[in-house]
Amino acid sequence: MELSDSQIIERTLAGEPDAFGVLVRRWERQIYGLTLRMLGRDEEAKDATQETFLSAYRNLSKFRGEAKFSSWIYRIALNICNTRLRSRTKFTISLDEQREISGFELAADNEDLGSGIQQEQVTRHVRRALQGLPAEMRQVIIMKEYEGLKFAEIADVLGIPLSTVKTRMYTGLTELRKRLEHLREAI
Amino acid sequence: MNGEEMNDKQKTSNCDMHEALIAYLYDEATPEESALVNAHLTRCVACEQELRAFEQVRTTLQQWQIDDLPVLRVVTDRPSSERLMLTVLKELLSITPIWAKALGAVAMAMLLLAIIGTDLSVGSGGVSLRVDLLRRGRPVEPVNPNEGRKITASEASIEQVRAELRGFVNQLIADSERQQKEEIKLQLVGLESQLQNMRSADLAKLATRIQEHQQRLKTLEQDIDRREGLDLTDILFSEVSKPTDRSTGGGD
Repeated sequence: MELSDSQIIERTLAGEPDAFGVLVRRWERQIYGLTLRMLGRDEEAKDATQETFLSAYRNLSKFRGEAKFSSWIYRIALNICNTRLRSRTKFTISLDEQREISGFELAADNEDLGSGIQQEQVTRHVRRALQGLPAEMRQVIIMKEYEGLKFAEIADVLGIPLSTVKTRMYTGLTELRKRLEHLREAI
Repeated sequence: MNGEEMNDKQKTSNCDMHEALIAYLYDEATPEESALVNAHLTRCVACEQELRAFEQVRTTLQQWQIDDLPVLRVVTDRPSSERLMLTVLKELLSITPIWAKALGAVAMAMLLLAIIGTDLSVGSGGVSLRVDLLRRGRPVEPVNPNEGRKITASEASIEQVRAELRGFVNQLIADSERQQKEEIKLQLVGLESQLQNMRSADLAKLATRIQEHQQRLKTLEQDIDRREGLDLTDILFSEVSKPTDRSTGGGD
């Protein structure tokens, strides 16, 4: 029988060396997905994922059993992402963004070769559209669309009212709709 | 306001149905909310269009899937050394029999008394107990035979207990060391297998990447071939449809 998250945490706290590894393997995909979509950069997302698990491990004794582990670890990951996003300055522009600014990417877009590349193009547009959203809307959309959380769970993770979650979702989708339409027209 | 902005505004609903619409879109609406939205959609084109547009946005968002999970190396230390010590002590106590626990408690009490320097003497005035912290090293005061006599039997038994205690503590230390060594050995074995797994995962990922690149290259080659083929067909068609040009060219 598969152990629950709480049982694994108990074992980790009791000093079982490999127990936490089980939790990491169970949640790494979701956390990496969340950080990648929040930050938009692979390397930074990897670092943020590691930071999330390290922080969770160090603060494991503070985890209260009545809350869900998923909500707790999502909250840690989002805090880490938000800190990283706040510390970004206009001077730390990624190579992709530089290419985008200089018009390199648009030239490449016109050379539409093969369905694989088309798929990559759509992914890039979605990525760009999401990155353009304010972080508070982006995190709600990511948790709903990609992590499959219920609105009540998102409200729990973010510590905000349910109605605020739905309003952010609505505004975010409206904004994305405009952005994706513009991008579609640009292709 | 340009035409595009106006178009956007027209598409955005002004009804106060946003929350219900969002709940409906994600199948999280209550039956009442669903009934309300269904009824509203039959008479509000803007909301109906908005819902369709959101569904389209959702489909587009789903195109971004992450297949490639990086190999994470989360290196963790122990949550707290105090916790570990406590755990070890707890485990040790749980496997120790009751008689050994009782003996241990007595020995600890005796050790404590010995450390703080306790003298038990019986004199003409009765039994006296003297406690002297860290007596060791101080000159021994001469004992007045009139005041009382030392209980040599008690001293001997304390010495014996001290020796037993020393042996017991040494044994505990040895046990603990052995246990720690075993733990370290187990951890090393675990780390080795983890490293092996990571290496295999890296290799597998590398192989997949190579395959993907090869596939992509193949697709590109096919596409280039297709394009070149099209170009040739175009040329041929244009040549067939323009015989006069060819004849003119031939004349040159």
